[in-house]
Amino acid sequence: MERSFIMRNPSVLWFLLALAGFTLGVTILSEAFGIGGLSTSFIKTLGKTLCLCLIAVAMDVVWGYCGILSLGHFAFFGLGGYAIGMWLMYARTEEIVVNSLNEAAIPPTEQEITNAIGTQIFGVVGSSDFPLIWAFSHSLTLQLLMVVLVPGLLALVFGWLAFRSRVTGVYLSILTQAMTLALSLYLFQNDSGLRGNNGLSGLQNIPGLDHISQATLSMWFFWASAIALALGYLLFAYVVSGKMGSVIRGIRDDESRVRFLGYHVESYKLFVFTLTAIISAIAGALYYPQAGIINPAEIAPIASIYLAVWVAIGGRGRLYGAVIGAAFVSLLSSWFTGGGAPSIPLGFYTIQWTDWWLVLLGVSFVAVTLFFPKGIGGLFDYLVRKQP
Amino acid sequence: MSTLLEVSGVTVSFDGFRAINNLSFQIGEPELRAVIGPNGAGKTTFMDIITGKTKPDEGRVIWGEKSVSLLDMSESAIARAGVGRKFQKPTVFEDQTVRENLAMALKNPRGPFDVLWYKKTAQGAEKIEEIADEIGLTDALTRCAGDLSHGQKQWLEIGMLLAQDPRLLLIDEPAAGMTPTEREHTTDLIKRAARTCAVVVIEHDMEFVRRLECKVTVLHEGAVLAEGSLDHVTKNKDVIDVYLGR
Repeated sequence: MERSFIMRNPSVLWFLLALAGFTLGVTILSEAFGIGGLSTSFIKTLGKTLCLCLIAVAMDVVWGYCGILSLGHFAFFGLGGYAIGMWLMYARTEEIVVNSLNEAAIPPTEQEITNAIGTQIFGVVGSSDFPLIWAFSHSLTLQLLMVVLVPGLLALVFGWLAFRSRVTGVYLSILTQAMTLALSLYLFQNDSGLRGNNGLSGLQNIPGLDHISQATLSMWFFWASAIALALGYLLFAYVVSGKMGSVIRGIRDDESRVRFLGYHVESYKLFVFTLTAIISAIAGALYYPQAGIINPAEIAPIASIYLAVWVAIGGRGRLYGAVIGAAFVSLLSSWFTGGGAPSIPLGFYTIQWTDWWLVLLGVSFVAVTLFFPKGIGGLFDYLVRKQP
Repeated sequence: MSTLLEVSGVTVSFDGFRAINNLSFQIGEPELRAVIGPNGAGKTTFMDIITGKTKPDEGRVIWGEKSVSLLDMSESAIARAGVGRKFQKPTVFEDQTVRENLAMALKNPRGPFDVLWYKKTAQGAEKIEEIADEIGLTDALTRCAGDLSHGQKQWLEIGMLLAQDPRLLLIDEPAAGMTPTEREHTTDLIKRAARTCAVVVIEHDMEFVRRLECKVTVLHEGAVLAEGSLDHVTKNKDVIDVYLGR
């Protein structure tokens, strides 16, 4: 009789327990549902961090397990954010426009409302017409579908072209960088239909929920992010366990051997690439309503490189390592760059952490790669003797 | 014994150099065959062609009763059709246990979703035990393949080929780097496998070939120089020139 999935992977249970404990702790300390103590903006930061942990887990699967160093997964994250952002912005603007037009003496026509919404949204880029890609923005259901479909299709087509041509290693990394750079540059243009460098804003205001305070909303999103992380973690833990895990780790270690065993390696890579892209997009769709704004700079190549750094520091090839890396480095990063860390006066020079944080991060990345290839997650190996 | 694989008139050039030159070759099922030849005779390229890694410029490679061409198939499809290949350097998945290595090779549906929903079966476990016994790694099933000795890795790889339930086994220099006892075990393994399927062994070591007691094909400059029993080919004047006359 085969043991259950959780029994074979005790770390999954521990992770879920830790996440549940964390979520409970934050809830108790929140203003909306507990005794207070954590500000709403800090709860949003924690919620966003959970989303970053989710994309880091996806990155770990595609890189740490399958050996594809994708430096473009933030493109999918951003697309997910844009997809949900379009609905948030449209529906919210519609609400405002309808309310203000209703006070007019003559009731507005359908066309007038649409025009007014268009002017509100696209005025900043000197336009008032809805581009074709906003065709579904009135519907939450359709736009949620877009969160999954658009990044999923992009990953499928991109992956199919790249893997079919047997592009591997550093060349594939460069291709993924090019993809996210091209997407970001395209979105920077005013006529891309997504408001150019202004991006989409006001996403923290959820249409129809004006009567609910941001303190409460922030907790809702925090819980949603925690649940998404838990489910994503479970999904990926299932994928990388058992025979599927065997095959994808085999692809990482010796692609041609797997091929000569009769596995169609390209299909497996495509499966992993697309699945992780979709989960990244879902993480992005939860992240940006908490951030409030999304613009093309979010999917600049550097974001995806940070993602790889988080996973490397946390520990590749173990899912909880990715979570630790993403949480640890991104929180530390906002502490340093947010002015939380005190400057160090050296007399002749003052170390400002906002500038020097990147240097510190770079040095720790190099140090981890050279001296602790297993990352922070590797410390657990000392605590728990690995069962053969 | 029916013909399983027929290679005819195959030519491959790399940058003008003819690695394989109008080569023809046949093997039946079951049969054991040794392919020998000096360095650069095209032995490895020959395997690359059969397994789909290299596409020939000319010629045909015909497989099985239905006489399908292997040239139009991908590497993985050829492997699924029943061609197993062992590389010269032992290539096993060092990060994974012996059991995982064998389980991956077991003949089962190979699509991503088949594998994702795959459930272990008692049959599969039995087959793994059987093969582990055959290759002498029963006690090592839970060990990491990376911790095995060189010879054990070679056997594990042969075991992985057997788990695929192949019809044709291509084995590149199985005895390289093995101790005499390990060689003996390897010879037994190969001979037993050749009772049920076609086995092609590429080897440098004449002593090892002699022990296989099988028909020998001598390759030279990408073409077949001689074919027959080992005693027959070693008396052949061309073979002596190529091997000893240098």
